[in-house]
Amino acid sequence: MDNIIELRGIKKCFEGNEPVVEDINLTVKRGEFVTLLGPSGCGKTTTLRMIAGFETPTEGEILLGGEDISKKPPYLRSINTVFQRYALFPHLNVFDNIAFGLKLKKLNKKKIVEKVEKVLDVVDMEGFEKRKISTLSGGQQQRIAIARAIVNEPEILLLDEPLGALDLKMRKEMQLELKLMHESLGITFIYVTHDQEEALTMSDKVVVMANGHIQQIGTPEEIYNEPNNAFVADFIGESNIFNGVMAEPLKARFCDAVFECLDNYPKNTHVDVVVRPEDIVIVPEDEGQIKGEVISVIFKGIHYEITVQCGKNEIVIQRTKSAEVGSVVGMYIEPDGIHCMPCGTLVNCYEGIISKNNTVEFGDGVFECDVTMLYPGSQIDENGNLMTGGGEYIDLTGVRVKVEVPVDMPVMSDDENEGGACGNINSLIYKGDHYNYLIKTKSGFEYVLNDEYLWNENDYVSIVIPKEAIRLSFLESEE
Amino acid sequence: MKIYFSRKNLCIPYALFLVLFVIAPVLVVLYYAFTNGEGQFTLENLVGFFTSANTIGTLIYSMAVAFVVTVLCLVIAYPVAYILSKSRIKRRNGLLILFIIPMWINFTLRVTALKEVLSAIEGNLAYYPFINTVIGQTYDFLPFMILPIYTTLIKLDKDLEEAASDLGANDFRTFLKVTLPLSMPGVISGIMMVFLPAMTNYVILDILYNSTYIMGSLIGSYFSAYNWHTGSMISIVLFAIVFAATLITNKYTDIDNAADRGAML
Repeated sequence: MDNIIELRGIKKCFEGNEPVVEDINLTVKRGEFVTLLGPSGCGKTTTLRMIAGFETPTEGEILLGGEDISKKPPYLRSINTVFQRYALFPHLNVFDNIAFGLKLKKLNKKKIVEKVEKVLDVVDMEGFEKRKISTLSGGQQQRIAIARAIVNEPEILLLDEPLGALDLKMRKEMQLELKLMHESLGITFIYVTHDQEEALTMSDKVVVMANGHIQQIGTPEEIYNEPNNAFVADFIGESNIFNGVMAEPLKARFCDAVFECLDNYPKNTHVDVVVRPEDIVIVPEDEGQIKGEVISVIFKGIHYEITVQCGKNEIVIQRTKSAEVGSVVGMYIEPDGIHCMPCGTLVNCYEGIISKNNTVEFGDGVFECDVTMLYPGSQIDENGNLMTGGGEYIDLTGVRVKVEVPVDMPVMSDDENEGGACGNINSLIYKGDHYNYLIKTKSGFEYVLNDEYLWNENDYVSIVIPKEAIRLSFLESEE
Repeated sequence: MKIYFSRKNLCIPYALFLVLFVIAPVLVVLYYAFTNGEGQFTLENLVGFFTSANTIGTLIYSMAVAFVVTVLCLVIAYPVAYILSKSRIKRRNGLLILFIIPMWINFTLRVTALKEVLSAIEGNLAYYPFINTVIGQTYDFLPFMILPIYTTLIKLDKDLEEAASDLGANDFRTFLKVTLPLSMPGVISGIMMVFLPAMTNYVILDILYNSTYIMGSLIGSYFSAYNWHTGSMISIVLFAIVFAATLITNKYTDIDNAADRGAML
């Protein structure tokens, strides 16, 4: 199989704003079914639109069969799109909608009729030629939209959440049909969805995206079994995520116990540990590696979802047998059920400027700080001026410094004026005994912080950083 | 005693208004149109309309004026509306205001100003009465053509144009095959809003010293001569023409979407 399309270093900014997607590198083989998966706003649709030609990348190139098409208009690309809301032409009937592209290619009438009939057969809509679009149901419009795209025999078919508007049963049916269609047509499919199950069911290759970056590319099995980072683990399927440290290579410490694992990181590396709920085995109290009290049992149809309180961590377990609430159980995890990965941000780093009154400006806000840490032995006199150990006064206003804030220190507040900067919660991940938040300010600065309380995605919060949590140092170039 | 107030009662003022100011006047006009001076039923006025060379001549002249004005308005308004609908939101409102502001100034004042401009250019307005009328009316009615077209274009689903482009249509073909047909409801209502006023609004002709009658001035002249019957009949015929035109255009514009009908207003 050869590569049909290749995205190289794609970046897209809208009118000088923060990039929507950045650093997108992706290779798609001929005939593959590739899914771009991610939460809304992660840039997956923008990426698709750049492949279709509706948007031009700010940077990077898109190679179709080796030729850069990133500047070509959509009508010169042998790529067709199935739109999220179908975008069928309301003034044309079913036949004319499907024949739209063929007529533009100036095919003769007989050939057009032949092709339209054939494609209607593929999507199982024979006899609908004369129907008006407005008389079709959502599912039928969906099929016509697919027919209209594939009748042109594109090299690549792009599908932008095509099943989003259908009900569950219909969606399952269409998933299967699309999969079959993909196999029989031999066209490369690039599919966009936020539904992880859909992605795992249908694709040969899944591209997980978040915050405009590709998080992981792999087969559905790889994505599920070996997530690259806590985000992927959290987004794909259910998972327990813990903060851990490598006790030694091939041994991870989390939940106050040491577990054997298959990941080889140096001693003392901070890691995120992912354990799937079905990989935890409940055993008698004394036989497990760890133990805890069952705090809830929920029947889920195929399995029970059992939550166990183990020290400060909550652990979710799935198994087919129930457990008694209140009982103490042991838990055992096989080494291959434990997946460790280098942890995300531990310390937020920024470049800041010291402003008057011993405050520092960074990340879209102004925070109080302790400037004396820049000069060992210095102190602040009663007028608020900085005096070095040698009795010299220094005015630091306007000096650029490096600012470090450990993720454990800041807290969030819903009082906008309480903290130094404000932003919206971009994502959150539950990690056993706390939540890990990513907050983005208006102009795109990011704050990573841990908080034991649950906030909602998109909440507008203000970030409160205690004075002592802000570590200042001179930028290297200043010295 | 409890007073029951149904929401239906809210329509009473509107119904009253309709009866008093729409239905009653039409009935009065109908009555006059089909009676003679003695108050007896007659078709004389109707026959008179189609046999009088004067009336028919005026009808043809008015239609000619209205036709040229409508076409001119359309030719100017469509590109303007199109550009407006494509421009960025911030700029769009500013541009739109530019076209709407003239409507805030009394139209006689505007036409009077135009008269001064035209006489400065032409020397004597009497040389080109038809052209002056067309210029005056086009100038006055242009916003009524721009707004409905703009409204339909702005509501047009952007996906449809992208879909056309995706299927291989270049910008021109996309416009021809998708944008234009889908903006027809706006075009039709624009035509309706310009054509009839152009046939009847004689104030513009008066101000521009065009002494030829159009339908409006004809009706006015009969009414000021106290000939209610002929004047009413002319109004009724005009009404019938407009009504027929509306029916025909509604039939030929394929409007599936009830929302698009809003543009007809």
